[in-house]
Amino acid sequence: MRRNAVSSVTGSPKPTLEPRTPTVAKKALDVWRDFVKSRYNADAQFLNLERMLDDDLIRKHHLLPPGAPGSSLRESSVIFKLASQLKPEVKTISLANNNISSGQLLSSLSHYLPKLANLSLENNNLQTWRDLDFISTRKGRLEHLQELILTGNPVRELEYKNGRGDKYKGEIGRRFPSLTVLDREPMTVIAFDAPQASSSTHAARPTATTFPCDMGTSFITGVDPALVSGFLARFFSVWDTQRASLMDAYHPSATFSFSVNTSIPTRARLQGFQHSKEMPHQKKLEWTPWITGGDGGSRNLSRMAGGLDKMVRSLHVGAEAAVRAMVALPATKHDVGGAPEKFCVDAWPVGESLLLVTVHGQFTEEPIGGERSFDRSFVLAISPDGSRAKLNGWDVMVMSDQLVIRVYSSHEAWRAGPMRVQHGDSIQPSPSQQSIPPQLQEQLAPIPEPERTLVLQICQRTGLNVKFAVDCLQGNGWDFERAVRNFEEVKGNLSRDAFL
Amino acid sequence: MSTFTSSDIEIAARAADQFTRLYYTTYDSATRVDDLPNFYRATSTLTWNGNPFQGSEGVKSLMERMPSTKHEVQSYDCHPIPGNQPPSLLISVSGTVTHGKGPAGNPASTPRGSIEGQPRVFSQTFMLVPDPTAPPAKPGEVAKYYVGADAMRFVG
Repeated sequence: MRRNAVSSVTGSPKPTLEPRTPTVAKKALDVWRDFVKSRYNADAQFLNLERMLDDDLIRKHHLLPPGAPGSSLRESSVIFKLASQLKPEVKTISLANNNISSGQLLSSLSHYLPKLANLSLENNNLQTWRDLDFISTRKGRLEHLQELILTGNPVRELEYKNGRGDKYKGEIGRRFPSLTVLDREPMTVIAFDAPQASSSTHAARPTATTFPCDMGTSFITGVDPALVSGFLARFFSVWDTQRASLMDAYHPSATFSFSVNTSIPTRARLQGFQHSKEMPHQKKLEWTPWITGGDGGSRNLSRMAGGLDKMVRSLHVGAEAAVRAMVALPATKHDVGGAPEKFCVDAWPVGESLLLVTVHGQFTEEPIGGERSFDRSFVLAISPDGSRAKLNGWDVMVMSDQLVIRVYSSHEAWRAGPMRVQHGDSIQPSPSQQSIPPQLQEQLAPIPEPERTLVLQICQRTGLNVKFAVDCLQGNGWDFERAVRNFEEVKGNLSRDAFL
Repeated sequence: MSTFTSSDIEIAARAADQFTRLYYTTYDSATRVDDLPNFYRATSTLTWNGNPFQGSEGVKSLMERMPSTKHEVQSYDCHPIPGNQPPSLLISVSGTVTHGKGPAGNPASTPRGSIEGQPRVFSQTFMLVPDPTAPPAKPGEVAKYYVGADAMRFVG
């Protein structure tokens, strides 16, 4: 209604009683704001952006909603930005029936509504997986999405039409790991007992300034350490010299994969390993043979740009596939016979009759001659009589093998003893888990450090009394590992009075 | 013994993604003393740098004496383990962890180039196993899993 600027002298209209509403041309932004507000159900935290082209407010002001011909990124960004300002925060958005053809229109969604839980894109026109990149890759990731609807989009319908429904679901699962419902059907998920919102009453920040324990030595329990060390020594030796014959050591359904962590760790960098005189070949090392080699490449699941195919291809199932992959990796040399402190092993039984073995160490990559660090996790089983493994002298065989290769870090990282949290922390051996009986303390007192700590550790580890622990250590050059191994070898022959 | 379908592999990978995010977020949170033990059961066996702990109680005790942490996961991998249905999962994680205040918490007299207080590289391996006593709570849930075994070491 236009306001009469002036009332003429002759015959001015009768003054109306209601207040006159000024009609200034509204800014588009205000219209969008009103529109978004009108579509928001605050109780349900649901923003209904369906059929925007048919909306009265939008048509009246000739606006271009996402999906309308001629609409651009700007409109969708404005809408999502306005949505991000709604209170309480938006949990669910429906963009159904908008004829959206390009995923790019969704590119600002993760920026403005990063915690979005439910999204419907039903009956739009999204054609390819690339359209979904804008909400499921580094371009923009909806990390908390629980429900997604894509029915009625070519990207979904074509897969189903061509019998690839399972592949579609798998690909969606890989792109949206938090999803529990897809196209109104529950996703197969593995659940954990982590509360979504903590029910904890312990709101205090952690205040410890020291570590709970010292760095411990290799921890092998519940199994004969000689079995574990024997397996590892032979495994790495064969890996170095005759990798293909490891086929004997793997179960027919065993799984193998390797992944590469290329980050240069801060401590290693500060210690100058890249330029050290003792390791002159570091700079010549290349990651490419590891990242792309091995018949399927490095399997770092946090970086699966290759999609579901890559995820499946890089996991080698069965002894043959495992060996095919292994022999396509660079040659290596592990110093198995040399310094044992360069390796660290933690192993114990798990499940029914399985053995978990984790090894940390280093190898020289040949022919370049540079050093790499590695971590390897095995699940081993006892080889049944008559099995290929057993017949070839492998008492245990590999069920699962995960290898991680990383930039060289020194084995000093796991040198047994106390550790500092901050520079300048005083180093006292921390109280051991078991309290030391006073009689033992008395016997230990005359022994100086560092021998005293070693003796105590031998007593705790083996049950030997102080005198025998000292003998054992002396006879083994005060090398803890050697002393323990020696003890394991002879313990059957020791009399009762050797023990505490 | 049946081998795995790509569906099994995809479900395992998704579980690993969820688990690593949840686990380390919880570890780094102020409420970890109460929340982290929920990933474990009384039978869980774990080691922290070669020191053994047992069960949720062990985890609780470890967390009570641990300085504050900030983990950064740089790579992880996951296998379903042949044997049972639903399968156990082997997950290995590689990354860095900073304790206390990190380098910012070092005294002013700290020589330049000192490694103390700097992030450490860690390697952690988990065996996730299905809980036989917990029936699936929601449609689509394969099983409720918990940490059966856990070996963590500083490696750099």
